[in-house]
Amino acid sequence: MSRRDFLRKMSILGISAVVANAVAVSPLGALNAYAAIKGAEDRAWELAKAAAAKAEKKTLTLLIPTGSIGNMTPYVDKWKNELGITLEFIEEPDEVVHTKGMQEAVAKTGRYDVMMPTAMSYPDWIDSGVIYDLTEWTEKYDPELFNKDWGVVFPASHHAQLYNGRVAGLLNDGDQITLLCRDDKLKDPAKVKAFEDKFGRKLAVPDTWAEYRDLAEFMHDPANGFYGSLEYRSPYYVKWMFMQRLVSKGVLYFDGDMNPTFNSDEGVQVLEEMLAMNQFLHPDAFSFTWSSNYNAFGRGEGFMNIVWPSGFKYSKAPSTGPATTGKIAATVMPADFTKDGTKVYAGLFCWGYGYAVSKYSANPELAYAYAQWMTSPTISADAIPYLGGYSDPYRVNHMLAPTQRLIDTYSPEYLKTLYDNMVNTVPDFCLPGGFEYQDALDKQVHACMTGAKKPKDALAAAAQSFERITRRIGKDKVRKSWLSLAKNLAEPIRKASGADKWS
Amino acid sequence: MHDKNLSPLQAVILMLALAIVLFPVFWILMTAIKPPTDWNASPAIWIPTEPTLVNFQTLFDPEALGKYGVGGVSQPATKAVLGSLMATIVATALSVTIGLFSAIGISRYSSGGKATPLIILSGRMFPPAAIAVPFVIIFSNVGLIDSYAGLIAIYVAVTLPFSTWMLKSFVDDLPREIEEAAMIDGRSKLMAHLTVTIPLIKGGLFATTMFIFILNWSEFMFALVLSYTDVSTIPVQLAKYVTATAGTLYGVQAALAVLAMIPLVVVGYLIQSHLARGMTFGAIKQ
Repeated sequence: MSRRDFLRKMSILGISAVVANAVAVSPLGALNAYAAIKGAEDRAWELAKAAAAKAEKKTLTLLIPTGSIGNMTPYVDKWKNELGITLEFIEEPDEVVHTKGMQEAVAKTGRYDVMMPTAMSYPDWIDSGVIYDLTEWTEKYDPELFNKDWGVVFPASHHAQLYNGRVAGLLNDGDQITLLCRDDKLKDPAKVKAFEDKFGRKLAVPDTWAEYRDLAEFMHDPANGFYGSLEYRSPYYVKWMFMQRLVSKGVLYFDGDMNPTFNSDEGVQVLEEMLAMNQFLHPDAFSFTWSSNYNAFGRGEGFMNIVWPSGFKYSKAPSTGPATTGKIAATVMPADFTKDGTKVYAGLFCWGYGYAVSKYSANPELAYAYAQWMTSPTISADAIPYLGGYSDPYRVNHMLAPTQRLIDTYSPEYLKTLYDNMVNTVPDFCLPGGFEYQDALDKQVHACMTGAKKPKDALAAAAQSFERITRRIGKDKVRKSWLSLAKNLAEPIRKASGADKWS
Repeated sequence: MHDKNLSPLQAVILMLALAIVLFPVFWILMTAIKPPTDWNASPAIWIPTEPTLVNFQTLFDPEALGKYGVGGVSQPATKAVLGSLMATIVATALSVTIGLFSAIGISRYSSGGKATPLIILSGRMFPPAAIAVPFVIIFSNVGLIDSYAGLIAIYVAVTLPFSTWMLKSFVDDLPREIEEAAMIDGRSKLMAHLTVTIPLIKGGLFATTMFIFILNWSEFMFALVLSYTDVSTIPVQLAKYVTATAGTLYGVQAALAVLAMIPLVVVGYLIQSHLARGMTFGAIKQ
């Protein structure tokens, strides 16, 4: 570094420090900014205090998926000591939570106050009358869902919390999938040279699905127990792999009139590309659950992996990622091209827990206050890094202005990657009958991956099931919900899919 | 008793059959003593080099796995074990007792007419999933939801057709003349059945009890649907061993499965002399 460069950098550093200090102490500075960001938490706490004081039942009962409690237990004492409210957690296997909610709709036991489903449950739960429409509460107490600096990242802010434009639940988990690569392999000089010799481009994280395939093939070394990628081919998970690739081609699940669109040339192409990838996948890909997948990657058995943010946490922590700690390069999901050659970056926001308030709660306002307090920009930033819970970053401040604990848990680079990926995410089937649509698609995609069905036949069968589900639920009802979802997709995806012309 | 040696082929087939039957038991036993690092290892670890009891400890002390960096288990299995024992024992006793008297009534007195056995069996014709939700509604209205009384009631309702039909076949097998002889000796109908019928079908009674016990002990659907927090059973608890830090806790699940096997092994051992006869379900008729 030259003397001039050094002086220039020091000057910039000095100016930065002065500006930062001025901002921090000025009336419009950081303290006020912190007070502003803390507003949602404070308003929720005031409401909680008032609701707790008048509550006859001093217990707030939460229906939560097994394994999620770690993000909630750190606050149990505060609620008990300062509000006199005991938090009681009823844990159920995650695949049962939706059913338990539907069951409560008929049983009306009032056993739950707060319920923690995925975004896909909201339509059925709202329609069955088991949870409150939270819109009026959110207007009154403002959980800052859409604030540009610390709101929930768009479009998840809309598709993981709203049903037909009304607030059904408050998101507490940023479940999007990103692509992880082994950084040490990307920096291996021998591999760098071999890759450049073979492909004529630099060895780096893939930018497109075609590059992803090339990399998987290049790194695939089954003789040494190292595989190109660990993406899922197992029942229940495999639909997400299909949906992710499909939206990257600019194709959504339905057109504007609820006709399935995946049984198209693009859909068939996606299945063929997935079949072609099978040879470079970990042999357990057909039986992976999220945890066995994370474990295998953490043991160093693959070059790439498509995982939720918790997968990155696993791979980063020495206890669960002994072979991958400090060796992960993450990137947004690879892009693909539409028929007219437009390059589309699209991610998938799949799963994603949130808090809903039971219609049969004895203290619904207190339950709502809990949901807002836990998901406020400040408390959520504190809660997410705790281990033993599923909660991952979902607000802008979690990713672009992270706390030190968030940085320690994820890393600034990965948080930025999450943000870049999340702005282009497409939701699950957050529609009435969403679980049925998903299951129908999953079954057929899996049948195709195992060779039981040809791609075209599998997609035709899935489309037939979709039409049946739509007919049964009512086309107008599902269409209204679908158009509402599609309206709030990222603009490039709306354009690529033609959704910008739907009405 | 036959004293005939097995041919080599028979021995091989027998060994193969045993290996298939016992493999899940072997795997569960081994997994139960594996540390977390070995639960899901690839290639699979058949026999752990450093066996541990930490999985069993975790069942009753959720913090025990902490030394392996695994947290997130939120409740001990004590309540589930006690709940399973209580619900299963009471429901089995009720089901077998009611089933026994139903069987005698149907077999000896054609109580309720010819259609009764079929009507009783009709309760088993619906898949549990189909009747679970109506029961949720009914139980919610009568205050039986999330209560052991409700769970036991449903267990009895579900297993009664089995106990009645199984026991009926044993009573059918027994010559009426023996009971009639007791009555001629001056015993009432009830006493004749208590002192003659029941002792003579005790093999079948044990086998039926064992069978109903197994059904109740492993029941999942109703326990899951009808429970919130007050009721807990082992099969439901097994499904809850998933944490965000380690995924599915295979070792802890296996440890609980081993515990769950113990009552069946003990009961099976105690009544083994009756099982061979009982399990034929009265196949040889008069």
